[in-house]
Amino acid sequence: MSASSLPSTIHVPAIAAPLPDVLPPFKPRRGFIGYLRKNPIMAFGGFLLLAMLATAIFAPYLWTVDPTALAPARRTREPSAMYWFGSDMLGRDVYSRVLYGARVSLLVGFSVAILSSIIGLTIGLTSGFVRWADAIVMRVMDGMMSIPPILLAIALMALTRGSVQNVIIAITIAEIPRVSRLVRGVVLSLREQPYVDAAVACGTRTPTIIWRHILPNTLAPITVQATYICASAMITEAILSFIGAGTPPIIPSWGNIMAEGRALWQVKPYIVFFPAVFLSMTVLAVNLLGDGLRDALDPRMAKRL
Amino acid sequence: MFAYIIRRVLATIPVMAVVALFVFSLLYIAPGDPAAVIAGDQATPADVERIRESLGLDRPYLVRFGEWVWNILNGDMGVSIFTNLPVTTMIKQRIEPTLSLMVLTLILAVSIAVPMGVVAAWKHGTWIDRCVMGFAVLGFSVPVFVVGYVLAYIFALELDWLPVQGYTAFKEGFFPWLENLVLPAIALGGVYIALIARITRATMLEVLQQDYIRTARAKGVGQRSILFLHALKNAAVPIVTVIGIGMALLIGGAVVTESVFAIPGLGRLTVDAILRRDYPVIQGVVLLFSFVYVLVNLLIDVLYTLFDPRIRY
Repeated sequence: MSASSLPSTIHVPAIAAPLPDVLPPFKPRRGFIGYLRKNPIMAFGGFLLLAMLATAIFAPYLWTVDPTALAPARRTREPSAMYWFGSDMLGRDVYSRVLYGARVSLLVGFSVAILSSIIGLTIGLTSGFVRWADAIVMRVMDGMMSIPPILLAIALMALTRGSVQNVIIAITIAEIPRVSRLVRGVVLSLREQPYVDAAVACGTRTPTIIWRHILPNTLAPITVQATYICASAMITEAILSFIGAGTPPIIPSWGNIMAEGRALWQVKPYIVFFPAVFLSMTVLAVNLLGDGLRDALDPRMAKRL
Repeated sequence: MFAYIIRRVLATIPVMAVVALFVFSLLYIAPGDPAAVIAGDQATPADVERIRESLGLDRPYLVRFGEWVWNILNGDMGVSIFTNLPVTTMIKQRIEPTLSLMVLTLILAVSIAVPMGVVAAWKHGTWIDRCVMGFAVLGFSVPVFVVGYVLAYIFALELDWLPVQGYTAFKEGFFPWLENLVLPAIALGGVYIALIARITRATMLEVLQQDYIRTARAKGVGQRSILFLHALKNAAVPIVTVIGIGMALLIGGAVVTESVFAIPGLGRLTVDAILRRDYPVIQGVVLLFSFVYVLVNLLIDVLYTLFDPRIRY
């Protein structure tokens, strides 16, 4: 069919009609919310961690009872409407114990992450700048790193009385060498940067250089490291409590609840199950957050890992 | 190269010295009176005094440290406070199950994790890759004893395929031995597999982008031989390094795994020692594990220079 056969009455507009507005104008979301939308996994981790934090803080208001209240007459009840997660062999409510256990775990995780970051930062900065101290400090750190962290924490706990504070100190000591090594490595590579040379040439004093030029650049890797330390500290705390070298048995920590449920796990698996799920979820949340932070703060690593 | 190896071997001596000094000094650094803590709450002053004497806390620090190191060099790690047996004897009695568990875990983990990482790198960005990475995150997040209980519940209690707990000595047959160790080894291997798979994937991704891989492809080399012969060989150094470093996870995890599965090994010995506050035993086990860890990593460093001609120091 040729064009000439078309009826000539068809009106051909000189200018194409505007397209219907099916595509809204593209507006990339920026800022925090936009970032979370692009990284749903990290958002999930953050949300899970916040939920866990809220659980820990508001534990008394979440339909819990006294986590240490004994009720020998109602021991080892299966999960039911009265005992959501069942009751243990002393009749204590596992639901309440698990919720209160979040406090211990998060307290230990965050405290160890913050303390070991601060101490590791100090040691790392010092040994990165003071040459004579570097050799000694790094030999000591090498030695400490050769002791598997859990064993080091066990050895420390065997010499002190079990308390949350001592658990935090023991795990912190076991984590310090890794942070120090990380910070020292960053400091040594930053020292070679032209802008540090320039600052030195300008006559900037060493403390100012550290404070203004070195420290801010160590914060990104140390933040990522801190989240991983937080995750591993929570696991270590649970392990210590589980084998009887951690928090004292009166305190309902997840490790303690599992240690108590251990004898009965073949017949009453729920006593071990619920704290295990909570612990795993919390550690998972922190790890996902850490992965997200790492990708955000160091895009080169994001491609590799 | 031999000069490097000798230097590397000599460099471990100060590290071991620091380990020994640290493990020894814990007794003195610990807040409060360790003798009183070890003796427990019901101890009489005489008990505390006896423990103080047996730990040597009544003598000067340096003298005691010298004696202690000298004794260890002569194979004497002191005497258990609780059983009065030499620590070395107690360790010897318990070493087989732990060694079995760790060797089996090592073999299992490496033979699972390395192919996993390689395939993830090959299928980069696909759902296989995402599954492997997801597994890695889970492996880091779920603690050893949780994996242990879940596995024992499914495969031993519900399905009744494997024994729930216990240990059978190797000399009583390979299969009974294996049967008892499979679940503990998988549980213990979780974190380790995650770690190795992740590093394998990352290193392989880097290696696969290099020119010689493209050349091999252009020549028509098969996919499998590119991955496992050409690429994996060149990715080996970081992978083997992380296998060595990850031994720390394995050692720490063994302590817990053994108490979940009631394996009478060094981990069990450690846990019992903690409950009885038997510090000489803890000291001995920590020292032994740390030295093994240092030596394994030394061995790996030395092996590099033999196998990788690019490494010249």
